Amino acid sequence: MPGKNKNNMDFTLLITVLILLAIGVAMVFSASSISSFMKYDDRYHYLKSQGIFAIIGIFAMLFLSRVDYRLFGKFAMPLVLVSLVLLVAIFIPGLGHGAKGAVRWLKIGPWTVQPSEFAKFALIIFMARSITNKKEKIRSFKDGVLPYIILMAIYFVLIILEPNLSMAGSIVMITFAILFAAGTKIMHLAIWAIPLVPGVGYIVLSKGYMLKRVTAFMDPWADPLNKGYQAIQSLYALGSGGIFGLGLGNSRQKFFYIPEPQNDFIFSIIGEELGFIGTATIVILFLLLIWRGLRIALLCPDNYGCLLATGITCMVGIQSMLNIAVATVSIPTTGISLPFISSGGSSLLFMMANMGILLNISKSIKASGG
Amino acid sequence: MSSIKTVVKRRIIVVLFAFFAVYAGLIGRLAFIQIINSSEYQQKAMEQWTRDIPIPSQRGIIYDRNSKKLAISATAYEIYVRPAEVKDPEVLAQALSDVLEMDRAQLLQKISVKKDTVIIKKKVDADKVKALREKELSGLIFIDDCKRFYPQTNFASYILGFTNTDNEGQDGVELTYEKYLNGFPGRNIKMTDAHGQELPGSEAKYYEPQDGLNLVLSVDEVIQHFAEKAIENALVENKAKRVTAIVVDPKTGDILAMAVKPDFDNNDPRKIPEELLDKWSTMSSKEQYDALFKTWRNPAVSDTYEPGSTFKIITSVAGLEENVVKPDDRFHCVGHVTVSGKRIKCWRSYNPHGPESFAEAVKNSCNPVFVEVGQRLGKEKLYKYIKAFGFGTPTNIKLPGEAAGIVRGVNEMGPVELANISFGQGISVTPIQLISAVSAVANGGYLMEPRVAKKVIDDMGKTVHEFPTRMVRQVISKETAATMRQILEAAVAPTAGSYIPGYKVAGKTGTAQKAEGGFYVPGKFVSSFIGFAPANDPKIVVMVVIDEPGGAQHFGGVIAAPVAKSILYDTLRYLDVKPQYTPEEAKLLQKPLVKVPEVEGMSLQNAIKELAKAKLKYSVDSEFEHSLESVILDQTPKAGADINEGSIVILYAKPKE
Repeated sequence: MPGKNKNNMDFTLLITVLILLAIGVAMVFSASSISSFMKYDDRYHYLKSQGIFAIIGIFAMLFLSRVDYRLFGKFAMPLVLVSLVLLVAIFIPGLGHGAKGAVRWLKIGPWTVQPSEFAKFALIIFMARSITNKKEKIRSFKDGVLPYIILMAIYFVLIILEPNLSMAGSIVMITFAILFAAGTKIMHLAIWAIPLVPGVGYIVLSKGYMLKRVTAFMDPWADPLNKGYQAIQSLYALGSGGIFGLGLGNSRQKFFYIPEPQNDFIFSIIGEELGFIGTATIVILFLLLIWRGLRIALLCPDNYGCLLATGITCMVGIQSMLNIAVATVSIPTTGISLPFISSGGSSLLFMMANMGILLNISKSIKASGG
Repeated sequence: MSSIKTVVKRRIIVVLFAFFAVYAGLIGRLAFIQIINSSEYQQKAMEQWTRDIPIPSQRGIIYDRNSKKLAISATAYEIYVRPAEVKDPEVLAQALSDVLEMDRAQLLQKISVKKDTVIIKKKVDADKVKALREKELSGLIFIDDCKRFYPQTNFASYILGFTNTDNEGQDGVELTYEKYLNGFPGRNIKMTDAHGQELPGSEAKYYEPQDGLNLVLSVDEVIQHFAEKAIENALVENKAKRVTAIVVDPKTGDILAMAVKPDFDNNDPRKIPEELLDKWSTMSSKEQYDALFKTWRNPAVSDTYEPGSTFKIITSVAGLEENVVKPDDRFHCVGHVTVSGKRIKCWRSYNPHGPESFAEAVKNSCNPVFVEVGQRLGKEKLYKYIKAFGFGTPTNIKLPGEAAGIVRGVNEMGPVELANISFGQGISVTPIQLISAVSAVANGGYLMEPRVAKKVIDDMGKTVHEFPTRMVRQVISKETAATMRQILEAAVAPTAGSYIPGYKVAGKTGTAQKAEGGFYVPGKFVSSFIGFAPANDPKIVVMVVIDEPGGAQHFGGVIAAPVAKSILYDTLRYLDVKPQYTPEEAKLLQKPLVKVPEVEGMSLQNAIKELAKAKLKYSVDSEFEHSLESVILDQTPKAGADINEGSIVILYAKPKE
């Protein structure tokens, strides 16, 4: 049985993930210590929670690397149904939990879970399983493309209602990435760009704050205090870091210039403290992860594992790409966390879980192939 | 099946390369930000982190000669708003509008601007800031500042001057002594977080502000008060355009008082002048500025006028010094004199003075006599004395905008010009020049430079810098000066408006027609009096100039002399100068007090009867022709005053038509 062969586990991938995780914990501490002290009177508040989730995450990853990835395929449909229930449950008063006008978490006892993270997980497994079953029918529009677009649309609507534009957007990108990799006809995918144009236009125009983000992106200095504020502060942080950075712990932008520096803009703080050397290293680490992930997909003997590995890798690749693009003011500001690095337990746990699955798939690769 | 698998593999490789391309792009973008543009962002970030906070220096206090505070620096605040931190602009605008008395709509617009900080108001008093702080509004910033404050409004306005919003002197001694009064502001340069808190471990630079030094004026607050009060009344009573009074200590040249009415409020020098309130909004900003500038112009040093008879003092001392005339030389006034075929009239040509001594001619202010003295001197000698007394050159008083006056050059002086100058026409002087020249007569012939400030002291009261008195030159001998003082004392007869029993007032009145554009303007006069007391040892010299009196009277002796008398009387008593009564004055003082009856509006005949009933003597102001039927326009002292029996009441009769 391929899944039982421990020696074949992708060691490079494992190390890459652990390095990213370690950088994440260190940087969350560095970035958050000031605001953490202000808010909780405790420099280590975020370090503690991030550290605990990192350890739990490592165990989850190691555990899942031992669980046969094919097992999840059997529960693909129930997973989708559960994820939809959770996404709907957010809208039930008392269960939903959030801040700044967006309800994105479910509060279950002392725990908060982000259903959209679970939704991505469910969607990737479902698509991998379902597309594998379709075989040649994937080349048909009605059977191969439409059902997944519909499922994606349901997720998209539920998530955008939270609202969480960036998460909804990354769901779309992941779906299309999997459909593309699965061998659908290019035309069947390209056609969706047509209704998308007025759709995006409508969203941008109807939701005031989304439009503001777009215009801020074009010229952050036109409105340095409001719409362009975060973009400018991110550039200041990255720019002041220069090539070598100010040194670990020496960021000045984390002193409330960048709000919640341990979250979506942690990459800017890394740039300030560790310089171009640090940021380029992180980009290269993610590239390494993508290369290993897609290599696993290419070498995986069965179609299901191949698509599953592709989906998981694309998810990580797309999210980190979007996050870094926002931090470098390459795209409009949108709230998306940097995988393995940004603070946030729920997101980290799912990422680690996904890595566990990816590692398990890597075991199915024949030794000769590695 | 195998075809799909191939497609999938190819597609995954495409995805991998797509990721490679995008991530390479991101690395490029990072290199652009962190390497190529790094210094630009770094500099901007540095600007954001660095706060350079100016720490205002306290401007020095201005004291009078007796250490009374005339100008102080009070703590004030500058109010700023950070629009991004404002929670409710409407509420904030309302609160600011209530407390600072500013327009609400304009404030709302101001605080809605997308700027880092917006200045709302400078120089806000501490109590207003307290009121705003209590409202606990977000987005408001208060910065320490100093505010110049003049405890007595409309007081010594032209001496003190004022400062601008940056606490820089703009006028008066605030301007001329700027380098002493203004200290050096300090700075606090520090790195801060987004909330303005200092960053830990950052290097803060603090430069201590250096406070300004304190200025001690020569001005005496009490005497200044006397002068202000006296000219305020004179302005109203005479419906004059302007009244100026100067009090000088002749021995030092110290300006004890310099008052001008109407004046301006130093605390609010840019207040719209009342008479312009209606049309202010229609005026251009230049017109507005010119109008304000006019109110700030100090007539005592900046305006020149034709001195008229008061200038005869100069002609007299020149004649006496050059020995061309003696006090008891005899003259005969026929009401006019002809110079180079031009007939020059005596002011009392309708009733010529007839035979008179030189001393009497000074008292009578008889023009032909001074023409004669001028001719005896010759233009070169008269010119020499005019220049020696300082006319035609600024006195170097430390007040802004001093004028030099106009003295005709000796080569442009023909016989007619010489004659005119002899009695004070055809020459223009500033009040400060004339009082300095007369002070020289009072000071044994020594011309002193007028001094407004005595010294600069630090906060401990230690003298840092002294402005010593300065004798410019001796113009005439002590003897000539003494002779002239006697003549001028005699000129102030018990019937004169400036006479004070026991105080030996010496002085000269003057009435000059105003010249505008080279022509005399009928009905526009400058009436003045200049005098000192006590004549044998002058303590003070007082000058009063009434510009364009609009009342029934315009003669200097009638309207300016009583103003000077009031200042002299108050000041001499304040300086504790003991009265020295002549035997006649002493006898008069023994007599019981009577109330002065009301005789205004009566005929002269009836007035004389009424005064006789009250056992009072009378004197009719002799400058006009009058008869027993003439109506009495005015009297001194006024009805109801308590005076000794046998005292003289001066009556001003309506001139004959």
